[in-house]
Amino acid sequence: MTAVREWKEAHPGAKAVGAFPVYVPTELIQAAGALPVSLFGGGGSVEISHADSRIQSFVCSISRSTLELGLRGYLDVLDGMVFPSICDVARNLSGIWSRNFPNRLVEFLHLPQNRDSPSAIAYAVAEYRRFLTALEKLTGRTVRAEDLAGAIAEHNEEREAVVALLELRRTTPWLLDAWEGGLLLRAGGVMERGEHARLLLRSVAAAKERNRKVQDRVRVLVLGAFCEQPPLELVRTIEEAGCYVLEDDLLLGLRWFKEPVVADGDPLRALAEAYVTASPPSSVSHYRGPPKQNLLVQRVKDLGAAGVLFCTAKFCEPALYDQVLYKERLEAAGIPYVHVEFEEKMTTFDNVRTQVETFVESILFE
Amino acid sequence: MMAATQPVAATAEDAGKALQKQLLAEYYHSLSDEGRDGRKVAYLFVPGNVVELTQCFDMLPVYPEINALQCGIKKVAGDNILRAENLGYSSDVCGYVKNDIGLMLADRQSPFGQLPKPDLLVCNFSGCNTFVKWFEALAHFYGAELFVLDVPYLRERSPSREDVQYVTAQLEELAAVCERVTGVSFDRQRLRGVLEQSAEAERRWVEVLHTAKAHPSPFDAYFEAVFYMAPLNILRGTEGCAEYYRLLLEDLRSRVQEGRGPVPEEKFRVVIEGPPPWPHFRSFWELFKRWGVCSVASTYSKVGGLFDQGIFHDPSRPFESIAEYAMNSYTNWNLGLRLDLLRRYLKEYEADALVIHSVKSCRSFSVGQADFRDALTRGEGIPTLMVESDLADPRYYSEAQLKNRIDAFFESLAHRRLVGG
Amino acid sequence: MTVYVAGADVGSTTAKVVVLDSTGQVLGTSLGPTGASIVEAAQREFREAVKAAGIDEHEVEFVVGTGYGRFKIPFGDAQITEISCHARGAVHLFPDTRTIVDIGGQDTKAISVDERGEVVDFSMNDKCAAGTGRFLEAAAVTLGLQLEEIGPLSLQSSHRLRITNVCTVFVESEIMTHMMKGERVEDILRGVHNAIAGRSISLLRRVGINPDVAFTGGVSRNEGMVRTLEEQLELPVHVSPLSQYIGAIGAGLFALDRARGGGKTIRAAIPTVSHAGHASGGDH
Repeated sequence: MTAVREWKEAHPGAKAVGAFPVYVPTELIQAAGALPVSLFGGGGSVEISHADSRIQSFVCSISRSTLELGLRGYLDVLDGMVFPSICDVARNLSGIWSRNFPNRLVEFLHLPQNRDSPSAIAYAVAEYRRFLTALEKLTGRTVRAEDLAGAIAEHNEEREAVVALLELRRTTPWLLDAWEGGLLLRAGGVMERGEHARLLLRSVAAAKERNRKVQDRVRVLVLGAFCEQPPLELVRTIEEAGCYVLEDDLLLGLRWFKEPVVADGDPLRALAEAYVTASPPSSVSHYRGPPKQNLLVQRVKDLGAAGVLFCTAKFCEPALYDQVLYKERLEAAGIPYVHVEFEEKMTTFDNVRTQVETFVESILFE
Repeated sequence: MMAATQPVAATAEDAGKALQKQLLAEYYHSLSDEGRDGRKVAYLFVPGNVVELTQCFDMLPVYPEINALQCGIKKVAGDNILRAENLGYSSDVCGYVKNDIGLMLADRQSPFGQLPKPDLLVCNFSGCNTFVKWFEALAHFYGAELFVLDVPYLRERSPSREDVQYVTAQLEELAAVCERVTGVSFDRQRLRGVLEQSAEAERRWVEVLHTAKAHPSPFDAYFEAVFYMAPLNILRGTEGCAEYYRLLLEDLRSRVQEGRGPVPEEKFRVVIEGPPPWPHFRSFWELFKRWGVCSVASTYSKVGGLFDQGIFHDPSRPFESIAEYAMNSYTNWNLGLRLDLLRRYLKEYEADALVIHSVKSCRSFSVGQADFRDALTRGEGIPTLMVESDLADPRYYSEAQLKNRIDAFFESLAHRRLVGG
Repeated sequence: MTVYVAGADVGSTTAKVVVLDSTGQVLGTSLGPTGASIVEAAQREFREAVKAAGIDEHEVEFVVGTGYGRFKIPFGDAQITEISCHARGAVHLFPDTRTIVDIGGQDTKAISVDERGEVVDFSMNDKCAAGTGRFLEAAAVTLGLQLEEIGPLSLQSSHRLRITNVCTVFVESEIMTHMMKGERVEDILRGVHNAIAGRSISLLRRVGINPDVAFTGGVSRNEGMVRTLEEQLELPVHVSPLSQYIGAIGAGLFALDRARGGGKTIRAAIPTVSHAGHASGGDH
């Protein structure tokens, strides 16, 4: 939060709005002149003391640690919080937040789940407008179409940079580790989009200059870390155990759209329409395309990957339900997989290492 | 006022019970191969369900949640859950879902006979995101068509105009799907008739709920309400359902006259929040009965609709009222609205305390209950007891621990009363 | 005319009995392992406590049983939960108590009382060994130390070391890792004590932390725990040499209410329970 504080000092009077993970239309926050801040929880360093009196223990770490940070005052620098549709825990957390921080802006965005419906776009537009009005009230600024178009353009820029990073990782994974990529993506959580885009592109260019040899590692996909992020050390352990992670869903919300959002005409509508028509398959929203598990198998084949590593947050319901269908399909297709659960406060990764090494060996010696 | 010499309305009570038994028997028979008679089957969730609409297409409603609670009561949920876990479902996911998957794996053999497969899965997801995952899985396993009715979460007391428009538009789309699946044409007049029946039953149900304001309350608004509400959840929209509530209301009114209640002496009146532990229903109730506790209001009895908040089906506004009803299920209310409702129940029904039964399975209900407790006990001095177990998984119930907490709570309430507090 | 009463607190590990006189003064105490038979343990400790008090068994007018085994005490005249008894006992010893933290071998309780000593709220952790005496035992065993040694040793810690695992099963390997890294035993122990205090405080926050705070239960005899609680709470914590008997003392005081007579006792509010008892079976 130091970075956020510094930004606020550099922009007197401006507000900062925290966004809970996966996809939030942060363009709206930016257009209103506020800084969107991505939340990653307390990591391993925060001891849960106050949160237990507000939320039960059988939920993911990020919801508990974020609440703990809030109750201890570490998030006072945020003037508002927005929770998108992810799961029941995140949704109810918005209610807990409202009661405990009555003087801050707290919003829950009901992102449409019936995206097949012809009325979904109109609804998304209404939701976004509602959110935007609340933001305008918070910042005291009226958002004009140009402001929104500008924010969209900057977000497009960032997404393009993310795509470039992902492509580098997919085609030459030895030049940039998955954990490094994760770190670079997370860095964007507390900076402006344009700045993040530049950081990513610089990093991609620098990575290309690296003198690293290709190693004999097993190529895998890592799936399940779309919301609460795994400790970076965990990702590193997976890689060091003998894997090249070609593709993952770390910080999925940052690369929610594959194509740039075209903002001519009505930018708000364009953004809402993009959500309804161009969202990728994910565990956090109902997807109407071909079954996700079939898409996964296809992706594994297209990338020439040897297996899939499910890396999910402990107690993450959406991931746990989808896993059953993914695993069934992978088994039918004869694609090896392994499942690793993580929590924020993990400090030792030896078990994970052993698990992944065993998985790697079983693939290599097939 | 203690029991009178002879209960006057044994007739209404018996008639009500007999009718409920008959109606449910007929319902389960209609689900059997011969009983179905070619009609199509729609799977629905209880919160925000659209049974009035599906009924117009002669569709038979099946409620997997109700199957789950029945399996819990009949002690077979444990086996079903194990089957689902063997398939790969985690111990950390909802027991209702696992029971249903387990049931599917056992060829849908339930304590009430074999349940039919779905012809259409109507995922009316009101107040629970897990519903989407549940029916996505069923759609996969059964190869059945899935319609996701997106019901916006209520952030304000009333849905916005856009919320209502979105849902009514989807209802039109759903009607078209039902037409296609069943071959029956959509008859709006018929829908009005069904809504009329629903509204009748709903208004009577509200009056039933209000009888608990009496001292003593004539029924337990949690332990008995969850059975009294069955026809409203399973058979809403039918004449039999409306008639059942007429009889029930008559029965309860006589009990009020006679000062009869579910415990010999009503010592404590409580509001109960959260689903019951179905596999241990009776023993859980006993833990409260021994203290002379009677529940006068509950929130689980509102998952099928917040009728007592003035939300009724309305034949003069068919799709709008269905949309409003769908958004006003208890867990679709945001936490602030839920907490406010608890406060109002405590006051309106003159309750001494709030009991929260927090269940591991259901995040929708449970996440935030600790915050309710914090707000009420420390902020407002309202005695609140929180106990934990599960609604479907028999393994999460520890009688000794529950008894300890319940005893400690009522001991302290009793003692405070004695010393004048 | 003097009246003698007794309170019997039979937990799953230890049975404790106290004998009180009509002023509420403790005349005799006894403590022993519960072992396999609650009935035998309760009877044995009762006999010892009565002997220590210098009176005869039949002189005891009323006995209140508390704790896990309260319904199995054959000579108990009434049963009251240990929450009510701990609160009563703690307030008796420290009249300004508003918050009680009780850390036992297997569970932890947080109780808040009002100015009259009435229980206002309580919260328990009895599902998980984290934050209980069990956690300390596991640590002691892993380090090859006696339970009595670890408290004083932890006080000699010189630098902060964080134990992150809340699970008793995993804390053992975490301790081993620290040992292998060459960390001092004193620092590791301090980390363990801090972790337990942290879990207890988390439980306390559910009922609200208001001074004065009383620390009861077997673990309260561990000076390391007292110190870390005081540091983390930033409040002084009352501990009594009678801390293990606080539940039994509270039970005894309830017995005194009853023995003094009158219908105005908690006994009148509790439903009659036969000694043949309530099958409170099942594990923790």
